[in-house]
Amino acid sequence: MASDVTSAPVEETAGPGAGTRSGYVRYVGGKLGGAVVSLLAVLVTGFFLFRLIPGDPVKTMTGGRPISTAQLAEYRREFGLDLPLWEQFTDYCGKALTGDLGTSYQFRAPVIDKISEALPNTLLLTGTAFVLYTALGMFLGTRSAWRHGSLSDRLNTGLALTLYSVPSFWLGLLLIIVFSVGVGPIPGLFPTGGMESGGKEGFAYVLDVAHHLVLPVVTLVAVEYGQTLLVTRSALLDEMGSDYLTTARAKGLRDDLVRRRHAVPNALLPTVTLVFVNLGRTVAGVILVETVFSWPGLGGLFYQALSVPDLPLVQGLFLFFAAAVIVMNTLADLVYPLLDPRVGR
Amino acid sequence: MSTQDRNGTEHSRPRRPRPRRLHRLVAAAAGALALTAALATPLNPAPQQAEAKAEKTDKVLTVAVAQSVDSLSPFLATRLVSTSIGRLMYDYLTNYDPKDNHTIPGLATKWASSPDKLTWTYTIRSDSKWSDGQQATAEDAAWTFNKMMTDPGAATANGSFVTNFAKVTAPSPTQLVIQLKKPQATMTALDVPIVPEHIWSKAGDLSKFNNDKTFPIVGNGPFVLTDYKPDSYVRLKANKSFWRGAPKFDELVFRYYKDQDAAVAALRKGEVSFVAGSPSLTPAQAASLKGEQNIKVNDAPGRRFYALATNPGAQAKNGTHFGDGDPSLLDENVRHALFMAVDRKTLIDKVFQGHAVEGEGYIPPRFSTYFWKPSASQELAYDPGKAAQLLDQAGYKKNGDGKRVGKDGKPITYRLLCHATDPNDKAVGQYLKEWWGKLGIGVTLDCLDNVTDPWLAGKYDLAFDGWSVNPDPDFVLSIHTCAALPATPKDIGATDNFVCDKTYDKLYAQQLAEYDPAKRADIVKQMESRLYDLGYMNVMAYPNAVEAYRTDQIKSIETMPLSGGNIYGQDGYWSWWSAVPAASDGSSSDGLSGGAIAGIVIGGLVVIGAVVLFALRRRATAEDRE
Amino acid sequence: MTAPPVAQTGPRALARQRRRRSAARFWARYRTHRAGLVGLAALGLFALVALTAPLTVGSDVSSVTDAPGRPLESPSAQFPLGTDQFGRNLLGLVIWGARVSLLVGLLAAVLSVAIGAVVGITAGHFRGAYGTVLMRVTDWFLVMPTLVLAIALATVMSRSLGTVILAIGVTTWPTTARLVRAQTLAVESRPYIERARALGGGHWHVMSRHVLPNVMPLVLAQTTLMVSSSILAEATLAFLGLGDPTVVSWGGLLQDAREAGAVSAGDWWYLVPPGIAIAVVALAFTLCGRAVESVLNPRLGVAG
Repeated sequence: MASDVTSAPVEETAGPGAGTRSGYVRYVGGKLGGAVVSLLAVLVTGFFLFRLIPGDPVKTMTGGRPISTAQLAEYRREFGLDLPLWEQFTDYCGKALTGDLGTSYQFRAPVIDKISEALPNTLLLTGTAFVLYTALGMFLGTRSAWRHGSLSDRLNTGLALTLYSVPSFWLGLLLIIVFSVGVGPIPGLFPTGGMESGGKEGFAYVLDVAHHLVLPVVTLVAVEYGQTLLVTRSALLDEMGSDYLTTARAKGLRDDLVRRRHAVPNALLPTVTLVFVNLGRTVAGVILVETVFSWPGLGGLFYQALSVPDLPLVQGLFLFFAAAVIVMNTLADLVYPLLDPRVGR
Repeated sequence: MSTQDRNGTEHSRPRRPRPRRLHRLVAAAAGALALTAALATPLNPAPQQAEAKAEKTDKVLTVAVAQSVDSLSPFLATRLVSTSIGRLMYDYLTNYDPKDNHTIPGLATKWASSPDKLTWTYTIRSDSKWSDGQQATAEDAAWTFNKMMTDPGAATANGSFVTNFAKVTAPSPTQLVIQLKKPQATMTALDVPIVPEHIWSKAGDLSKFNNDKTFPIVGNGPFVLTDYKPDSYVRLKANKSFWRGAPKFDELVFRYYKDQDAAVAALRKGEVSFVAGSPSLTPAQAASLKGEQNIKVNDAPGRRFYALATNPGAQAKNGTHFGDGDPSLLDENVRHALFMAVDRKTLIDKVFQGHAVEGEGYIPPRFSTYFWKPSASQELAYDPGKAAQLLDQAGYKKNGDGKRVGKDGKPITYRLLCHATDPNDKAVGQYLKEWWGKLGIGVTLDCLDNVTDPWLAGKYDLAFDGWSVNPDPDFVLSIHTCAALPATPKDIGATDNFVCDKTYDKLYAQQLAEYDPAKRADIVKQMESRLYDLGYMNVMAYPNAVEAYRTDQIKSIETMPLSGGNIYGQDGYWSWWSAVPAASDGSSSDGLSGGAIAGIVIGGLVVIGAVVLFALRRRATAEDRE
Repeated sequence: MTAPPVAQTGPRALARQRRRRSAARFWARYRTHRAGLVGLAALGLFALVALTAPLTVGSDVSSVTDAPGRPLESPSAQFPLGTDQFGRNLLGLVIWGARVSLLVGLLAAVLSVAIGAVVGITAGHFRGAYGTVLMRVTDWFLVMPTLVLAIALATVMSRSLGTVILAIGVTTWPTTARLVRAQTLAVESRPYIERARALGGGHWHVMSRHVLPNVMPLVLAQTTLMVSSSILAEATLAFLGLGDPTVVSWGGLLQDAREAGAVSAGDWWYLVPPGIAIAVVALAFTLCGRAVESVLNPRLGVAG
């Protein structure tokens, strides 16, 4: 939830050094090692943090039903809750490293199955939104930078900032009211939630999902494109003062060629990094949008799991979210020096 | 994010134009999107069967649900949505008449008890077939009960019904004999789904088997479950050879809408035929649907009671007391005073907005056999003045700040447990806080996601409580007996509120052994009176069931009771089984709706527009300023 | 400005004068950013509304037993924004909710920036093992999805304002820490720091007398931006049901609206005003923060 609309992020730590091959390999090794350490830290944190959640899950699950002590003990044994905490932890770590994240208390299904059921849905939503808001943000950002100070620039920036400050769940609710339920004479054009209307196959199914995808994606794009826009714009503005561009123009190159070939690609780098680094906010957005639109993805699953507390599922999701962010960050770290050999001076 | 710290771009350096990098990035992104889209489609399990595609003439009843299915195995399922589906898939031994709840035949056509009340013989019908063609016999029933008696995993959901069973046998395919250890009046209300032995004996470990691997699921109920996608939908098709008669609808689909507003909007648009809400539609939603064409709101007496529970001092069967309930609550006068300061009428009016009935006895009025209300002299009517008097008399006087002081000299503050997910709890809690505040008693409203833990540990003073009552009230009565207490403070008992009263227990044992319905009802009413006087569990309201359905999809549907009751979550399958489709063309969502087409056209236009804009922009000349 | 009288009372007074002058310069430069002024004006207005709320609406507006209207009435002369599901005056509730939302936003931001600043300064000052470990922890926190962590924390603790403030503050400090550390490194590389150390200045002296004042403007900018996201975070947590249900806040109002079924009933007056209030305040803080940042670092040049 950090507000990053202002400065373009740049890799702060030392890079591989002058782009030598062995330097890069060392760099990669360092980054990968750091990622592994982070993942382990996530594992530990996730396990202990969620043990703090008040509530004995067995009691919660059976609280409403009469249950004999023998059944209770059976439950505890089944979920491994009768072992001492330390043993539970080592057990969990060992299993996690082999991909077994335990069994969900609520659904009695392997956590990894629940996650892989929900993952494609979330990927579809975030993937589409990501492409759209990155493209939109970059497009409008470059336009704003070129027309710096003009009315359209100010309007663009203003709109971006405003939408960025709007709570995503509120925007989602409003969109539902206006475009789903319908206001006055305007009928509801889009479904109110879910991912599909059921019972369709083949191309009809794809169209159905696309139909359901529109409003959630619009919500996500509206709230996120602003940041991309502003970062692209500021990076480009920075770039535009560079000497080499003056040289290029002095050589007689057309403006838009100058832009396209020189300025924009260089300004892209901070934007690209921003995208990866900002995944935390994306996760937040996904949780909220999925809740509001009943999208059957990881966000909704997470919130459901917290209320039991369905420890294995919560831990698994936490691990998954964090791991995804770590992986993306590491990717960004690895890719960045390839894009910009200046890193590491 | 770090600030820009690019050290000096002042000097020019050799640069290779990198348009390809940009293109590569864009291509990669597009590829990623295409990949995820492609992944999403095949990873969705296609309908498992070579089931003939739903033809356009099929009548489909779509129900909007929110609660996730915990398991499709009747041995493990405890949630309402799962047990409701279980009622549709499997038959029970007996059923309840929708008019007056009396026991009627289910899988069993006749039943009788031996003179010593310990042996029950059920005659199993011979016209019930499993959906794979095999005959349903008493052996299936015997297998089901025996499994629950011997396998702790199988006893997870309904084990409490069989704890008193000594032996269950099936001497013939049409005869089931159950021998009891003690008399049990609930033998005509065994809410246990009977499963096919030939399928389940191969299921392996019942504590892990969720019954969701092969579809259609073999059952003998009015519907057959054909497909299931967690948190997406549950599809059932009508069992045309059901012995009571085939359902009128061809297909029944439970579709998931986690958000209730989304479900209501779906009802408006005809995407679903029925919305039950969880637990019911809000007053605002009901009001907004009332005037709509083709939509009927079913606002009917509910089967729940909504009560205020007071901590009687948590104790275990071995006599150990635990928890930290406020000692002032052990005084009956204090409990009565607290309840007398609750203006139930305002709660019905403001919080439930008329969608509830003022609470009186423990069992809701629609269970007319067992309903009891206090006499005028016994009643704890709303009277804040009298409540203040009672507190003064009990020795809890107001101090200088207007706060009542406990025996320890400190101002009284009660912790009120509320369910964070229940808006009624939060609303009523605020009213209680203000009313009791005027009495001089402080209230801390503890709204938690998980109330079970502090509750079971006895670490509360007051709490919101509520149960759905079945036609046979044995369960909701049993949870206030001393036998329901946990064995030791570390165990979990079946107790609801740690109530333990000798008089109540004696009456409970009496009603359980009483097979004469009228006599039994009388004993139950005495129990309710005792509970009312004790004041540990006082009912504030009976919330209505507020549901809605489309009359242009459902012509008629049976409520339970027939004279006025709920449709979803019945004690039986009456609603879905009896529902008659409306005569008009089934507005089920086959093919693309007009809205979908509109949406896609708009989307396409936007994309085309963007492409055109982009193309135009590339032709901009050097007039573009920076 | 005329030249001040020299050597009035000594180095402290000189330092104070210097700070006053730089503050004046700061304000002069800030004034040139129109967006920043707009943001500041909006903030002033909201602050005024929030501070005078006890006088204008009074705490009775949140009482349910004395609610003046029927549930969910549409806007009218008596109730310009209609009523909520208890019949309370919504306009009054939105005004009253400003206090909590602004307070929580401010406190959470202050907590977050305070932790971040402390961590950043010490990590930048004490290099070596301590600094590295601290930065590893910071980086690790940075990759945590903050909402997930905040939800987990809020679920663990009881539902109260303190929990919300703590949850937000504890999960959002890393950004500030990184920035402050970078700035600390920059400041400490300046020659006068070396001189201060040579003259015998200890750690505390260097950090509090030299680093801190130089880092303050950055911290100020961060605080302003952090308030914006804290307010959004508070609304989010309240919306997810993790806030204090007895306290009126904008996020809580949105959750109440949703639970009451206002979306289905089309009761836009319940849903729109709290959301607008959140958006406007968050936007105002963002504009101010951006203006402050561009005043401090003209190279960012994003004045708009």
